[in-house]
Amino acid sequence: MERTIPTLIFGLLAMLLIGLSLVVVTSRSVFRGAVALTGALGVVAGLFALLGADFVAAGQLLIYVGGIMIIMLFVIMLSQRPQDHLDRQTNDQWVWGAFFSLAIACALIMQFRAVYRGIFVTTVATPTSASIGRLLLGDMVVPFEAVSLVLLASLVGAVYFGLDKEDRS
Amino acid sequence: MTLSLHHFLMLSAIIFGIGIYGALTRRNILGILMSIELMFNAANINLAAFNHFLYPDRVWGQGVVIFVMTLAAAEAVVGLSLVLAIYRNIKSVYTEKLNLLHG
Repeated sequence: MERTIPTLIFGLLAMLLIGLSLVVVTSRSVFRGAVALTGALGVVAGLFALLGADFVAAGQLLIYVGGIMIIMLFVIMLSQRPQDHLDRQTNDQWVWGAFFSLAIACALIMQFRAVYRGIFVTTVATPTSASIGRLLLGDMVVPFEAVSLVLLASLVGAVYFGLDKEDRS
Repeated sequence: MTLSLHHFLMLSAIIFGIGIYGALTRRNILGILMSIELMFNAANINLAAFNHFLYPDRVWGQGVVIFVMTLAAAEAVVGLSLVLAIYRNIKSVYTEKLNLLHG
């Protein structure tokens, strides 16, 4: 009985995630797609929690749902015209796009089924924040510092692109 | 029936396929950006699942997930400010209107 409850939770989260992702890529209104993407990112945080990654699940909620999606919703509200939801939202290549994405997904699924079948976990998940902190400031300290430079560059770039043309010079 | 590694891998493959479909077929730049976020999340699920099932005593996979999330945030900030700059210049966010590099 204890073994079936995580499976039930996984099935529920998987169906929610697939449905919300389909809404993201097919809905006519981009705003509705962004709201569905917010839900999908929350579901991914639930999957992280199911995988025993508690710190990553909290970071997913804080960074993606609380940070990126809010910026994205603001940009969508700033850049839409009222008649946008009447236009077609896919280009002329949607048949080939569907074919290629189906082919890639089927190839990945067959490969994963063939190679990684029947690997179960035997240990109990423990809190990971302390060991992640030790990893980030120990073995991963060089990429950690490099990421801070990337963040600085992206901030400067965002301010530069956000300026008006007259203010840039 | 217990959860095993390939359940998570198959779910992330499906999400990755949906993201590719969106990135290939959306006309709107913001829709393409959202599809790319979906693909990032599929890769993150893979990393966390491999970490949990193959190396449960180490956290390298979760560390890489944190880096991917940080870089996705940086990419989203620059990309969205570019979208706003493009919208200010040509008053459209559809990709077929973006056929000139000169603003």
